[in-house]
Amino acid sequence: MEPAYVDLDEGELELPADPMHLNLGPSHPAMHGTVRIVLELSGETIVRADVQVGYLHRGFEKMCERGTWAQVFPYVDRLNYVSPMLNNVGYALAVEKLCGLAVPERCQWYRMILGELARISDHLTCNGAMAMELGAFTPFLWFVKAREMVWDILEEETGARLTHSFGRIGGMASPPTADFKGLCRAALPKILHLVEEGEKMLLKNRIFLDRLENVGTISGAAAVALGWTGPCLRSTGVAYDIRKAHPYLKYDEVDFDVPVGARGDTLDRFLVRLGEIRQAKRIIDQAIDRMPDHGPINCDDPRVVLPDKLDVYTTIEATIQHFKLIMEGAKVPKGEVYSYTEGGNGELGYYLVSDGSGTPYRVRIRPPCFQITGGLSTLVEGRMLSDIVPTFGALNMIGGECDH
Amino acid sequence: MPTFKLDGKTIPFEAGETIIKAAWRQGIEIPHYCWHPGLSAPANCRMCLVEIAPKPGARPLMLDVLQWDAKAGTYRTEQKPKLQPSCYTPAADGMEVLGDTSEHVRKARHDVQEFLLLNHPVDCPICDQSGECKLQDYWLEHGRYGKRMRDEPVHKPKAVVFGPTIVYDGERCVMCTRCVRFMAEVAKDPVLDMRERGNLNEIIVAPGRQLDGHYTFMTEHVCPVGALTTKDFRFKARVWFLRTVPAVCQGCATGCNAHLDYDPRYNKAHRYRPRDNEKVNQFWMCDEGMLSYKAAHDGRVLDARVRGVAVSTAKALDEVKALFGDVPKPSIALVFSAAHSLEDNYALQEVGAVLFGSSLAYTSGMPEGYEDEILIHRDKNPNTTGVAQLAPDAKSFQTLLDDVAAKRVTHVLALGGAAPAAADALRGCKLVTVAAHDGPLVGAASVVLPATSWAEHSGTYVNAKGIRQISERALEPQGASKPAWRQLADLATALGYKAPLTKLKQIRTQLLGSAVDAGQSALATSAE
Repeated sequence: MEPAYVDLDEGELELPADPMHLNLGPSHPAMHGTVRIVLELSGETIVRADVQVGYLHRGFEKMCERGTWAQVFPYVDRLNYVSPMLNNVGYALAVEKLCGLAVPERCQWYRMILGELARISDHLTCNGAMAMELGAFTPFLWFVKAREMVWDILEEETGARLTHSFGRIGGMASPPTADFKGLCRAALPKILHLVEEGEKMLLKNRIFLDRLENVGTISGAAAVALGWTGPCLRSTGVAYDIRKAHPYLKYDEVDFDVPVGARGDTLDRFLVRLGEIRQAKRIIDQAIDRMPDHGPINCDDPRVVLPDKLDVYTTIEATIQHFKLIMEGAKVPKGEVYSYTEGGNGELGYYLVSDGSGTPYRVRIRPPCFQITGGLSTLVEGRMLSDIVPTFGALNMIGGECDH
Repeated sequence: MPTFKLDGKTIPFEAGETIIKAAWRQGIEIPHYCWHPGLSAPANCRMCLVEIAPKPGARPLMLDVLQWDAKAGTYRTEQKPKLQPSCYTPAADGMEVLGDTSEHVRKARHDVQEFLLLNHPVDCPICDQSGECKLQDYWLEHGRYGKRMRDEPVHKPKAVVFGPTIVYDGERCVMCTRCVRFMAEVAKDPVLDMRERGNLNEIIVAPGRQLDGHYTFMTEHVCPVGALTTKDFRFKARVWFLRTVPAVCQGCATGCNAHLDYDPRYNKAHRYRPRDNEKVNQFWMCDEGMLSYKAAHDGRVLDARVRGVAVSTAKALDEVKALFGDVPKPSIALVFSAAHSLEDNYALQEVGAVLFGSSLAYTSGMPEGYEDEILIHRDKNPNTTGVAQLAPDAKSFQTLLDDVAAKRVTHVLALGGAAPAAADALRGCKLVTVAAHDGPLVGAASVVLPATSWAEHSGTYVNAKGIRQISERALEPQGASKPAWRQLADLATALGYKAPLTKLKQIRTQLLGSAVDAGQSALATSAE
């Protein structure tokens, strides 16, 4: 990554004329995460923007190659850390595809509900933070208050607010709590109410609208060419949603719409996300009604699923099962697989290669943010410097998954 | 060669060979506990049951079984093929054997496994075998069921001390009798037996005796579960933290093939396990050999010494220059060591005979000791034959003592600390020793240079039968030690010569030429 050096003669007194070079980030209050944009400015107009990612690179894919398949879950939590449950479920589905496993119906509904809750949390964070970066602090508080309600449910279910590590190969770490459905039914209307109040403050605000409308516009064809997916692609009018196009879990059995934009500008991205929050509620409502209250949450295959802890302590069979799964890892059949789900930002894909052992041979992620961030420079070139803030905010770049 | 079919695969066999052994030769494992390729077959664990298709035209061997009929709410009599123990059934030409592909065989394995674990204690977390236990492996492969028995399991004696080396746990035992048969058939000392019957079965030592002798460790090695453990390895390490290299035992001239297990985190050797080699040690090793892994750490020379005082290697080399600098180099006597690898001895020959021009060559090594008819050789050096091949004119150690006493030899460059006799007489001469272990030649030396042990470098050894074998490197060099051949090269440099040897590969090529491959193929055939 080359630094943008400008050969300035220190003795020169006059200010440098065109172009002026500016470093935005990697640590800047208006930047989501750590990313650096090297700008060439003509006055306040951006002539050239060089987006440099990689400041949050942790070698995630390499780290996965030394533990067991199950030990990857905590790593995927930290990819898109505003919707870790979607990453968990996506990875679990990928390994299960490689193993040829199908989880019980109850687990599929449970995964859908938790995933959609995570999607709500993802979109609330993105929209709230973008508004805040434009100076609208109050809606941010409203959105984050709603997000807290989501996190309360997730904490009740998983024990952790952010990094749940709750997915398992062949199921989930534990079944739904007794009051899970009640918690969701009580919280969702409140969340929606808060979202409405928050968006009222913004969508009637001329300043806010002026800063979003016709800013960062991109055509559907250009977005597809860049490899965009998710809300950013849908804001251009392309109604591609993996939950509809290639349904997994039980998405083909529930009714929901795919909100799309028209112009592909920043406001459309903001509105698509708000629409998706409402659709997520629709999905959750249906899933809650249809999720059985009883029945197994994990599939019945001792080769991948851990035994009951009490049995581990009291019977030798379960001890052996536990020992084998923990010390050697579940043996995933030799082969390779690409599995993809609709993550918070779009197509979250895992390409896995197994050599038949208990340790992944290769874990390759296709993070939706990477392609989306790749389009940032074309969105802002020719625009004003201040347009970077809403444009970049609405792309929702997450360093954890982008830098891989 | 006649062949039979196992699950559709054609398997050749020698006349009289059992099904399991012929499959084992082809690298196909039919699950088993009691069968061992080096022991007789009692067919008592029933894990290796297979279905043998009847000869064309012959009546199939069937067995009546009671099957629960849920619809009728009663038991029905049904028939299933009578399964045969593959460890006891000789293979016949054209025989059709079904293992994994037979539903009855899979059911039998599942049920046998359930029986074997019926009274098994929940010991995996504290058991030394876990991680390499057949009960664990086969449960996952063939069992995969939960416990059905709700009764208290049968309790048996635990931590029974069988002898100076072995501890027995009756509850973990699957009564395969491998240990009993090993002592009777290989060690020729039938000191173990079983008592009681059914689930009260347990292994006992003959009254008035304890499990001792020279082959007790092998009872633990053949034990497929954690019933027998050695006092030496008990609770010392967990096997999944250990790495392993193919090594050659340094205990005697037999040169038994072994796996050297070590913990890379602490650079520590933990145990030997015999490595199968039909030409050398079959499947076995003796107790002394099994414990000789300790020599990787015990009795080591880790610092350079000048007259018994530890100094840096550079200082020691200065002292060598002072001792050897002015004397005519051909008058420096060389002492080869049968306890060191061929590479180390070759380096001594290159430095001494070629550079110095010395023709005064002697050999030393460990003194002779106990021998038996099974594995243990009288000669306690791993490389006597190799040194004899390399330096056929070298004189005995006693001759060296005489020559030094008679002042015919005044300057000596020796490899290895070991000597077959006391070496006090050598205090009269200027002795420089390159050694990995303490010994008479280290005690008598003016200067000692620390060498790595066999565990810290790759070396070639020629056993009493003339088989050349390579022992691979496991540990990082300890202390200031370097491979002896490198110390000798450094010594030559210090004395003003251009070091002739810079790489192990170079030595191997010069020393063995194309024979390197032969040595490695000897290793390859020893693979399990």
